[in-house]
Amino acid sequence: MKKLAYFDTSHEMPLEIIMAAGFTPFKIMGDVHKSNDPADKYLSSFFCPAASSWLAEALAHSKEWAGIVFAQGCNNTNRHYDIWKVHVETPFLHWFGAPMLEGDSAKKYYRVELQRLINALENKFGVKITPEKIREAIGKSNQIKKKMKQLSGLRSQKDIPNRDYLAAVIKCLTEPVDEVSAWLDSEITRWNAKPAFPSGKKRLLLTGSDVTYPEWMDVLDDCGIRIVRDDLSVGERLFATQIPESSDPLDALIEYYMGIPKPATRPTLKKRLDYLHQVLKDTKIDGVLSQNIKFCEPYAYDSVPVNNALQAEGYKLIHLERMYTPDADQQLANRLMAFVEMMDGGNNG
Amino acid sequence: MDKAKNPADNAERVMMTTLPHAQDLKWPMLWWIGMEKLYRTLPWKKTAWTCAAFPIEIMWIYDIFPDHPENMATVAAARKQSQRLIEHAEGMGFSRDLCSYCKTNIGAYDTKIKKTLGGISKPDMVLCTNAICDTHWKWFQIMADKMNVPFFMLDIPKWVSGTDEKTLEGNIDYVVNQLYDLMAFIEKHTGKKMSEKSMQKVLARSMELTNLWRELYEHRKAVPSPYSGAETSASFFPLVVLPGVQVGINFFKKILADIKNKTAKGEGTMPAGKEKYRVMWEGIPFWYRMRFMYDLAQYGAVISFEPYTFSFAPLKKKCLTIDETLRDVAKLIMDTPYGYNLERRIEHFEKWIDEYKIDGVILHENMSCRPSSAGMIDLAEAIRKDKGVPVLILQCDMNDPRAYSEGQIKTRVEGFIELMEANKKK
Repeated sequence: MKKLAYFDTSHEMPLEIIMAAGFTPFKIMGDVHKSNDPADKYLSSFFCPAASSWLAEALAHSKEWAGIVFAQGCNNTNRHYDIWKVHVETPFLHWFGAPMLEGDSAKKYYRVELQRLINALENKFGVKITPEKIREAIGKSNQIKKKMKQLSGLRSQKDIPNRDYLAAVIKCLTEPVDEVSAWLDSEITRWNAKPAFPSGKKRLLLTGSDVTYPEWMDVLDDCGIRIVRDDLSVGERLFATQIPESSDPLDALIEYYMGIPKPATRPTLKKRLDYLHQVLKDTKIDGVLSQNIKFCEPYAYDSVPVNNALQAEGYKLIHLERMYTPDADQQLANRLMAFVEMMDGGNNG
Repeated sequence: MDKAKNPADNAERVMMTTLPHAQDLKWPMLWWIGMEKLYRTLPWKKTAWTCAAFPIEIMWIYDIFPDHPENMATVAAARKQSQRLIEHAEGMGFSRDLCSYCKTNIGAYDTKIKKTLGGISKPDMVLCTNAICDTHWKWFQIMADKMNVPFFMLDIPKWVSGTDEKTLEGNIDYVVNQLYDLMAFIEKHTGKKMSEKSMQKVLARSMELTNLWRELYEHRKAVPSPYSGAETSASFFPLVVLPGVQVGINFFKKILADIKNKTAKGEGTMPAGKEKYRVMWEGIPFWYRMRFMYDLAQYGAVISFEPYTFSFAPLKKKCLTIDETLRDVAKLIMDTPYGYNLERRIEHFEKWIDEYKIDGVILHENMSCRPSSAGMIDLAEAIRKDKGVPVLILQCDMNDPRAYSEGQIKTRVEGFIELMEANKKK
């Protein structure tokens, strides 16, 4: 099954429409190990380095994909669509205008945009995206969400390296859904057989900009930190809630995508905090790691009120601004180890 | 650019002749400051913070005073206060990479700096839109939460390159529906009702104001340039907060009369024979360093057109019904030149280069405005290729003086001037 790639700064892309069109949704996440050249020719140095990496990936691999859909997300990268339209060779480039709000006006608009996406895919690829096919895709998506939730829950119980969890999420976002579903079954079995949560490690909630490479996860492990919960898009946002299966499939997608835990690119701050509070209520954690990739504006804005709110409630929290590179992250290890030592010194929450 | 700073050079310094009524800008500003006091004194009057591209007219229709954090941030910069306010906000945890307007406002509010230095008071509500950038709603939401006042955001769909008419109509429908939501929100929080009479009056004045500004820009096509970017950057203030009231109209009429007088005599803003290069400036000015624009005169360059200041005066349609009016408002919010997508930017910039007889283009790649800076490299390439004029991309910041490097900018500007000179000799 051919991949249809999508540009999505959080979890706004209705993957089930791509699946119903007969494609494997493939989230463009770049490659931190490769240079951002030639994307750097079109994007200045003060733009999100992750988004530059995505463009570099598209410039190198777009011919392997059936097409690309851009989902409206981070405002700083929305205008990259225009740049991709000039430079990325692809037979299909579509803008999906996911609304920012979630009232009745936004719901109507969301339906218009869903239908426009469906029409565009049908016209370009000669497929018919029927309600039955969307329902089938929703069912498969929900299976993945259910299994990922099960897997994710084991993070706080078993000895699961941070990178294993990230690898599982990335697999869900890039590989054929049926294969991923079978693989998740075996992973659940494998993770269940692992030893209990290591006594020397700290349980942390990870919030902020997304991580898309495992080296950072290894740094955290090396510092004695296990990420047992998160509110990332390449993370829990993908599987925190289920898509309703009973109603009209487009209504179901509208309800689901407008109701998922909010990223910093969507209002409101309160809703984002509500999810974090729920996570902190559900899972015993030792502290919070707030991270910001250099030039990632939405999370940089949020980090101040979000971190202030959590610290005011007594949570131990560290905020790190990181470059988009696996190497430089080692420099933050000292701060992380000091944070871990500090956690040993008192209670939390 | 420090040529202008050197007293030894003053003897040969080229002085731009600003219009006689440039001084009169203080009247609309004083009116606006006085009105704010009045609105804050009378208990039945309301105030709101708002941002660029928000339909200010709706606020005047409902008798809400529009306070404008961005506008006050520029005041803080012009009064050399922005850096300390930005650093104050950074001390609160806001990153160096975030919008300098936002941080100036956060610093100004937190330090309670006085109004004449860029200070701003707590409003009754916060009304904003993401038409220009998401920073607006992130920033305004943070401040609305902090001040504990109601918050409303207009979500404006993106008009990306290649958007077709049908999609555009769907986008307009969405915005129109939200404008009704906005009216309901205002009515809920003010207890006031929409008055059709007030609406017609405000819209007629708004149209007159923008038409005057557009007419003024028609005269800017004259050679030599009668009115430079150094002047428009200050005088466009009424378009920011006063569309719908009379005071701005009076001010623009005076400017227009001055310009007509100047062009009739064949005079320009530069001394006779000194205008060598007509420059288009794209982006927000360096508010803390407005001298930059005057310093260009030392090289014989005058800023003859700026899409940014032109953006505030869209061509408005006379509409007969509320529905028709709201559709026009919705389209205009999406259609601002400052927010044009790359394809439309290239198309319009090239048209303006011809109309304003532009010799070179300066693009301010603004570290505080990533959306507007996206695509500038492609825009520059297209202009060079299609129009054969030099383009200078200056990476800097609108409100943070720390980003302004005198020596580097001088070197780059001088190189740009040489390119324009060489281009003229071709």
